[in-house]
Amino acid sequence: MTSSARYLFLFLFCFGFGLISAQEVNDHGTAADHGTAGDETDVHQSCDAHGDDYDPAGVILHHIADANEFHVFGDVSIPLPVILYAPEHGWTVGLSSMFHHGETAVDGYVMNHGRVNRIADARATVLEGEHPVECIAHRQETVDGKTSDIYYAKVNGEEYLLDAPSVGDGGLLGGGITSFYDFSITKNVFTMLLAALLLILLWGAVAAGYRKNEGKAPSGVQSLMEPFFVFLRDEITIPMIGEKHYERFQPFIMTVFFFVLFCNLLGLVPIFPGSSNVTGNIAVTMALAVIAAFVAYFHGNKHFWAHTLWMPGVPAAIKIFILTPVEILGLVIKPFSLMVRLFANITAGHIIILSLISLIFIFGANGENVVGAGAGAVVGVAFTLFMNCIELLVAFVQAFIFAILSASYIGAAVEDAHHHDELGHHGEEKIAEGGAMGGAVTGMHTAAN
Amino acid sequence: MSTLFLADFSVIKPDFGLIFWTVVIFLILYAILGKLAWKPIQKALRRRDEEIQTSIDEAKRARAEMEAQAADNQRLLMEAREERTRIIGEAERQSKEMVAAAKNEAREAAQKVAADAKRDIENMRKAAMVDLKKEVGTMAVEIAEKILQKDLRSDANQEAFVRELVSDLN
Repeated sequence: MTSSARYLFLFLFCFGFGLISAQEVNDHGTAADHGTAGDETDVHQSCDAHGDDYDPAGVILHHIADANEFHVFGDVSIPLPVILYAPEHGWTVGLSSMFHHGETAVDGYVMNHGRVNRIADARATVLEGEHPVECIAHRQETVDGKTSDIYYAKVNGEEYLLDAPSVGDGGLLGGGITSFYDFSITKNVFTMLLAALLLILLWGAVAAGYRKNEGKAPSGVQSLMEPFFVFLRDEITIPMIGEKHYERFQPFIMTVFFFVLFCNLLGLVPIFPGSSNVTGNIAVTMALAVIAAFVAYFHGNKHFWAHTLWMPGVPAAIKIFILTPVEILGLVIKPFSLMVRLFANITAGHIIILSLISLIFIFGANGENVVGAGAGAVVGVAFTLFMNCIELLVAFVQAFIFAILSASYIGAAVEDAHHHDELGHHGEEKIAEGGAMGGAVTGMHTAAN
Repeated sequence: MSTLFLADFSVIKPDFGLIFWTVVIFLILYAILGKLAWKPIQKALRRRDEEIQTSIDEAKRARAEMEAQAADNQRLLMEAREERTRIIGEAERQSKEMVAAAKNEAREAAQKVAADAKRDIENMRKAAMVDLKKEVGTMAVEIAEKILQKDLRSDANQEAFVRELVSDLN
């Protein structure tokens, strides 16, 4: 297993570096944002030459964002497959290197700061074939009191408004449905695939250990990973889901935990193949949270749905106006909290680390103050080291929390009716007997409900 | 400050492509790992747990069995001892009984012999007495005959005697 894994990695790296295009790359938001006034050789220019000031917010947000190409270092980046769909045009498939880092427009698609955008003007003649892009203009416009970033691509002497890919925020966060959809293997997708591959190799080796050491004590990677399996079983699935049902959901909880954990950890690796902010992207956490919610609600038994939609033993008016709406809201809030918690934790950690790194450039006045840069480096590195340790902890803790909360939602959905029913029946019996205990037990029952 | 909010905070906008790929990758990963790892590991762990449980149970059972056997042996030994005591007691009792019975029998036999002898003596005495009486009777008759033969020679005596006899007959 290990030797085949080694060959796989070797192949992966060779493949990756084989694809590296050694062209002039300037995918850093830094350079593009502050521009390089007067530098004629930089073709990847901004149309507007603004000052030489360092824009930490732009840099940070660029670094945590998803991208259509994998920037490795300096001018080297790995192209990734792009799969684009525009309803009025159809599919456009290729490698991100075909955009030449923003210098070429293909079928109206333009690479803008590592992300593919599309020319919004549906009548434009540049929507077919390849066209050289002269420059990309960045403006801030205020529409209806909201200021937003607008990008224009200058092609053949004309400026065209650029659309970002469609996003599912319903337009609330400045996104919404635009003229195209991006189903590319982006940096985040690439990292997820890598995490999945690593997990398959790792747990494949562990499972092979169980086959090899059947009836014997575990050894090697098997004994390394077995405590994780047993820990998740004894600390998450059994207490949260219960002895009776946990075996059905153990595989799901294991997959959730390790997928989130590996994505978190790969996000902490600052160089290729890490560095992408997978679990700090709300699309990823949303998908995972919705899957977890689906698993829970799909397995929800009669008892769960009865108690959610039509709580027994409560007056109908209260049910209609308070309980049922609140419970239905709860069904949505549960996955929503899962989504936001993981996203916010990971993104916040990355923003802090990038802010600390930005201190070097802020103190150094963008290269003019070497002493300041040195001081910034000392402070920044020390704090980054500290933050990285915390982030490492957060990577595990958030994976654990995501798994344990998913398990608790599943546990609530598959919980058997025994407990409540027994209590209820006891109460009824006691009332029938006219015993004094009856009142107390029924009281407990209503309180529990 | 405003710059932060102006910059494109794209990670908060859920990209459809990324959602699609996350779902696809996660589900495929779940399917593969479920088949490749989770199920076999679960089964292996359960089997191992069961094995450990069975060996513990087995050891417990064996120890209990051994203890039971030791107790059994002890019980058997005690029983044997009791049996021995009982048998000896029984034998003693029986021999005493036998001795007593023999003594009784001997005494009874002696008594019987004595009684028989007494009875024989009595019988013999009675027989002797009968013989004696018979002898005495005969002698008396003979004496009487001789006396009579002598007295009846006179007629008067004969007549008197006959008269007497006839009166006796009436």
